[in-house]
Amino acid sequence: MGAPLKITVAEPSVILRSGMLAVLEHTEKFKAEVYEVSDMEHLKAALNWQHPDVLMVNPASLGLYALQQLRKEAGNPEMKCVAVQLTVSDQTTLRSYDEVISIYDDAETIVGKLFKLTAEGEQRDRRHEALSGREKEVIACVVQGMTNKQIADRLCISTHTVITHRRNIAAKLDIHSPAGLTIYAIVNKLVELDAIRETVGEPGES
Amino acid sequence: MQKLGKYVKTDRMSELVSDNYRVLLVMSRFGIGLGFGDKTIDAVCRDNGVDTFTFLVVVNMLLTDETPQPVSDRVHVASLVQYLHNSHDYFLDFRLPEIRRKLVEVVGVQDELSRAIVAYFDGYIEGVQAHMAYEEEIVFPYVRSLLEGRRQEGYRIEVFRQHHDQVETLLTEFKQILIKFYPSDSTHAINGVLFDIFNCEYDLASHNAVEDRLFIPTVRLLEQNLEER
Repeated sequence: MGAPLKITVAEPSVILRSGMLAVLEHTEKFKAEVYEVSDMEHLKAALNWQHPDVLMVNPASLGLYALQQLRKEAGNPEMKCVAVQLTVSDQTTLRSYDEVISIYDDAETIVGKLFKLTAEGEQRDRRHEALSGREKEVIACVVQGMTNKQIADRLCISTHTVITHRRNIAAKLDIHSPAGLTIYAIVNKLVELDAIRETVGEPGES
Repeated sequence: MQKLGKYVKTDRMSELVSDNYRVLLVMSRFGIGLGFGDKTIDAVCRDNGVDTFTFLVVVNMLLTDETPQPVSDRVHVASLVQYLHNSHDYFLDFRLPEIRRKLVEVVGVQDELSRAIVAYFDGYIEGVQAHMAYEEEIVFPYVRSLLEGRRQEGYRIEVFRQHHDQVETLLTEFKQILIKFYPSDSTHAINGVLFDIFNCEYDLASHNAVEDRLFIPTVRLLEQNLEER
């Protein structure tokens, strides 16, 4: 488990706010560091210093504030926004939120939805994603024993990008070693067999 | 049926072993063979020159996943070092070569895929060798000199604790790869290898647990006692 998930709960009603806090505190799925904001006037300033990963807020109490605007003014464009629905809200409003929970959701559902927004949750989601064409090319290079620098030169991208690709590949396939990627690449025919003969040895060799 | 709770030195060794077959591994690493009749754990240990208390701590730790808190200075460190050393021999000279032999038998060496699979396992064995060689060449001599009352300048068991990586995680990856990607018509043969890998993964993890939770704290205690003198 990584760093605690920083969550800001912005809700004027003390009863609702305490309820949300209780749900967040009692979960074992992730560790949460929760901030409360009761006065919507102070939301922007609070977000500025709290810098939360997730904002939970009732769309109705945000008024005319657009989320994009709020993220920008809070200096936190990565912030995930979760709509806490007290009544039925307009679908177009909800669309800009990363997740929607209802006050009638049970604790497990709420925690599950929040977990999906965390880095760990995202990584788990990514496991089911297919590899991109570029990622397949990177694998082909890795199994030929090329260094990150050599791969960058071959594919005309920066070393930094190569590292990002490799991290994504590891997350998607759950394979972290070059030897493991070699097996994956052969099974999925990502490489010409001649190209890897050097790394896995000649026929007849044991 | 697995017997719950802790075993004590007046229990019969034969009961302990038949209730928990994994204890066989612990016994052979302490240098205890079979054929002990109805003798108690204590008697069998004494017959074989093994410290009973240390034997029971290791056994109970593997069975109940509990470590004595705080770790006792009654643990016989020399026996523990011998145990860990024998355990290394077991993995390097017997268990891993055995799995490799079966693996080669099942996947063959005829094409790139089979060679890549064997190459992966060979790479893994090299990693385990390096891991264990460090313990044999640096850590154990250090501990032996502590036992003789000599301090080595510039080394602490803390250094080992910080660098002690988990050797079984790569084996977990290998298992995953075989499960997900190994194309086979009949699964009986490859299943045999997989069962061996599952077991070996478990044994390596408990070997590491003994090192992390029993060996390191015991050696730290030894360091402290020596400092106070």
